[in-house]
Amino acid sequence: MTADIETGAHAVAPETADVLAVTEEVWRSFLGESEPLLPGPPSDRADAVTGAVTVTGGWDGAVTVTFTPEGAAAAACAMLGLDPTDVPSPGDVADAVGELVNMVGGNVKSLMPGPSTLSLPVVAGGRVTPASEDREVVRLDLTWTGHPVTISVHTKGSR
Amino acid sequence: MLALIIDDSRAMRMILRRIVTGLGFEAIEAGHGREALDHLERGRVPDVCLIDWNMPVMDGYAFVTEVRSRPEWRHITLMMVTTESEHGQIVKALAAGAHEYVIKPFTPEAITEKLELLGLVRDGALV
Repeated sequence: MTADIETGAHAVAPETADVLAVTEEVWRSFLGESEPLLPGPPSDRADAVTGAVTVTGGWDGAVTVTFTPEGAAAAACAMLGLDPTDVPSPGDVADAVGELVNMVGGNVKSLMPGPSTLSLPVVAGGRVTPASEDREVVRLDLTWTGHPVTISVHTKGSR
Repeated sequence: MLALIIDDSRAMRMILRRIVTGLGFEAIEAGHGREALDHLERGRVPDVCLIDWNMPVMDGYAFVTEVRSRPEWRHITLMMVTTESEHGQIVKALAAGAHEYVIKPFTPEAITEKLELLGLVRDGALV
């Protein structure tokens, strides 16, 4: 449980440190240990590539991973074992981003009250606009191989 | 020995393929449970299946249940490799007939260790 800074109310939300730990483990396992995730400035590029999964049940929320197109392509190359200078297909990029958000989301789900169901990942161009009743409870602005990466957790506003 | 990798992510199938072929397995792939059953029904019966849970068309749990309902496939070793990490889900998969359960993200060493526990691998190579 985390306290809402503005209202003092409590919402069921994962701890930021736990989400970071989960994300770092996914990155280390599948994108290699030589290029760690580092804190970075927020990125709001309109041509972003976003992967999203939703969790429903004991906890209702959504987890998104947002890359720049170049970062998404670099992640796909790393996961598929391609040379970093290769140009992966759009399908391979979507597949890689989808699997990354699937792993981050699945592990966030494990931090929260259950039982819950994890959706299949959806990957699309652009940034995710959450439903009006949803609140962003965790946001990590990071960089990986010089590319911005944003991890975001939204949950239903329970006050 | 033949390993059947069942995951809707091509990237994940490639990662698992690299691990198991490095241990000496021949590997075939399926993007969901139904496609995996097609392999089995065509006579490509593997020694071990590495099975994701959340997939379109037929999920991993339904695949395990279907395989365990067929006596001729009883010898196949079934290993879940999935992000589903709730205790209830793990118990459900094992009760349905899965032998082992690996939670994503994993390391190559974790997969190898599980295959060793299952008696398929020893000292980094097929038994």
